[in-house]
Amino acid sequence: MIRHRSDTLTAWALLSPALLVLGVFGIFPIGYAFYVSLHRWRIKKESVVGFGHYAKALGEPVWLLCLVAGLALLLLSRQLRSRATSAGTRATFLALLAVGGLVAVRGFIGMYETGDLRLFNAFKVTLFYAMGTIPCEVAGALVLAYLLFRILTVRGFFRILYFLPYITPMIATAVVFRTIFSPNPGSLANRFWSIFGSSNQRWLQESRTVPALLLQGMGIDVYPEWIDTVFPSLALLCVILYNIWVYIGYDTVILLAGLSAIPRHYFEAAAIDGASQWQQFRHVTLPLISPTLFFITLVAVIGTFKAFNHIYIMRTAGAQDSVDVASVLIFDQIYQYHTAGYASALALILFVAILMLTVVQNRLLGRRVFYGD
Amino acid sequence: MPNGSDRGISQWLTYAGLTLTGAAAALPFVWMMLSSFMTRGETLRRVFLPAAVQWGNYIEAWSEEDFGLYFENSLWIALLVVGGTLLFSLMAAYPLACMEFRGREPIFVVILATLMIPETVTMVPNFLTVSWLHQVSPFPWLNSWPALTIPFMASAFSIFLLRQFMRGIPGELFDAARIDGAGHLRFLFQIVLPLCRAPLLTVAMFTFIGSWNALGWPLLVTNTPAWRPIAVALQKFVSEAGPEVHLQMAGAVIATIPVLILYGLVQKEFTEGISMSGLKG
Repeated sequence: MIRHRSDTLTAWALLSPALLVLGVFGIFPIGYAFYVSLHRWRIKKESVVGFGHYAKALGEPVWLLCLVAGLALLLLSRQLRSRATSAGTRATFLALLAVGGLVAVRGFIGMYETGDLRLFNAFKVTLFYAMGTIPCEVAGALVLAYLLFRILTVRGFFRILYFLPYITPMIATAVVFRTIFSPNPGSLANRFWSIFGSSNQRWLQESRTVPALLLQGMGIDVYPEWIDTVFPSLALLCVILYNIWVYIGYDTVILLAGLSAIPRHYFEAAAIDGASQWQQFRHVTLPLISPTLFFITLVAVIGTFKAFNHIYIMRTAGAQDSVDVASVLIFDQIYQYHTAGYASALALILFVAILMLTVVQNRLLGRRVFYGD
Repeated sequence: MPNGSDRGISQWLTYAGLTLTGAAAALPFVWMMLSSFMTRGETLRRVFLPAAVQWGNYIEAWSEEDFGLYFENSLWIALLVVGGTLLFSLMAAYPLACMEFRGREPIFVVILATLMIPETVTMVPNFLTVSWLHQVSPFPWLNSWPALTIPFMASAFSIFLLRQFMRGIPGELFDAARIDGAGHLRFLFQIVLPLCRAPLLTVAMFTFIGSWNALGWPLLVTNTPAWRPIAVALQKFVSEAGPEVHLQMAGAVIATIPVLILYGLVQKEFTEGISMSGLKG
C-alpha cells in the first residue's frame, strides 16, 4: 500500500470519470425512477398519481400489509423455535406459524385478485425460469468440471468447446435456437422428435404446458384448467434449455479453476485413509469448492433477473405471455405502451424483489459455505 | 485403489461423457453453419447437408435491410465502449487498489452495489437523462453514438476485476519508481498498465460481448438505421416476416464472426481472467 497525504486529490481525479458515469447512469436513476413512478408519465410528465401505480401493480394496500404482517409473524416464529424449550413456547411457536402462514397466504391471494395479473404472471415465469435453469446449470457444470478435472489430455480442447456457447453473442445463438425450436416440420427439434415417432410440436410457439400436452397426446382433451397455470409452457422450456446450454460452460470453467486450486495432497491423504471416490468428492471436494459454487449461483440468480435480450428475440406470438419474464414485461411497458411511470414502478418492485431474494439467499446458502480457516 | 481395468473403464466413461456433452454444445453451431449454406427449399425439407454450398446467402443477408450498416454501427459502438471502459476502469481501479485515501472503502462498496441494479430500473430515467442531454449539449445524443456508448463506459465488474489484480502488485515496485522520480500517473501507465495485460483483455472481451448483445436500450434511443446495432437487425430478421431461415442463419454467422476472432486472440488470458473471478480472495 502506498501512503502519501497529497495523494487524495490524485485518487479522486483518477476515480472521477468512472464515478461520473456510474453516478449519472447507475445510481441517480434509482431515485429518478422512484420520482417517475409517482407520476403519470408518457412522453412528458403528466399528473401526479402518488402510489397509484404501485397499487395498480400489487393490488389493494391492505393485502400487501397483510402479506408483510404474515411474513413478520413467520419470522418471529422462527426466532421462537430456536429457543423452544418448554411446552408453552412450543405452543406459541405453532400458533404463530399457523396464523402467520394463513395471514400471508390470504394477503397474497388478495394481492393476486386486485393487482396486475401480468406482473404476477411475469414473476411466475421468472420463477420457473430461475428454477429450471439454475439447479440444472450448476449441477451439470459440477459434473462436467469433475470429469474434466479427471482427464489430463485434451482438457484445453473441451474447455474451449464448452465455452463457445457462452462467448458467442446471445443475440446470434438465440436466433439459431429460434429456428431449431420452430414449429416448421424441418426444424431440428421436430426432426429429432420424429425419431420417437411423435407428431410435430410447436415448440417456441407453444403456450400450453408440458403435462397438458402429454395428456392431449394420450387422447385426454378435457383436463383441469390449473394444469396450464402451475407448470411452465413448452416455449418457456425451450428458453430454459437454451439458457442452460449458454451458461453451463461458463460455470464449468469457473468450477474447474476452483477444483484445480485444491491442493493435491488433500486427496492423497483422504485416499490413504481409505476414502472412496464418492467420499473424497463429498467430504473434500464439495466443501472446498463451496465458495465457488456459491459465487456461480449468485451470478446465475442475478443473471436470471437481468435476462432480456435472448428472451426478447426468442419470444413468439404463439407463446403468448408464457415466456415474458419481468424484464420483458417492463420493456414492453416502456417501448410498446410508452407508460414510463408504470414501467418504473414495476422495475422498482422487481428491484426490491431481487434485493430481498439476495438477502435470503445469503442467509440460507451463505452459512453453508466453507471458507477454510 | 481402483485396479487397472476399473480405471480403464472409468476413464473411458469420462471421455464418453465429455464427448457427448461436447457434441451437444457444438450441435447448434453445426446446424447454424449447415443451414446458412442451404437453399430456402432445403431448410424446409428434412435434409441435413446442403446439396451445394450457397455462398450467395451471405451476400443476400448482408444486403438485406441495411444489415451491413448495422454491423458497422455495432463495430463502432463496441470499439468506443471497450476503449472507454478500459481507460476509465483502469484509472478507477488503481486508486482503489494501490492508494490510501479517505473514503476509499465506502466508494468501493457503492461501486460494487451498482452491480445489483437491473437495467430495467435505469432504462426509463436514463432515457430521460439522455433526451435532456440531447437538447442541452452541443452534440446530439439520441440516434447517435453518445447515447449508445457513454452510459456503458464504466462498469463495476471491470473495476472490481482490475482492482483484484492490482492488489497483487508489490508496493516495492512503486517505491522503486518513486525513487526514479515517477509519480502515480507515470507509474500507472508505464508500470501497472503492461502488468495488467491479462485482466484488461478479459475486461475488453466481456465489454465487447456485452455491447454486441445490447438490444433493449438501442431500440429506445435510436429510431433510424444510422446508428442502430446488429442486435436490432437480427431481431427484425426473426420478428418481421422477412428473410427465411437460411438468411437468418447467415446473419447469425456474420454476427458471430467478430466475437470469435476476438476470442481467438485473447482466449488464454480470457479463460484465466474468468477463472480468477470465481476464486476466493
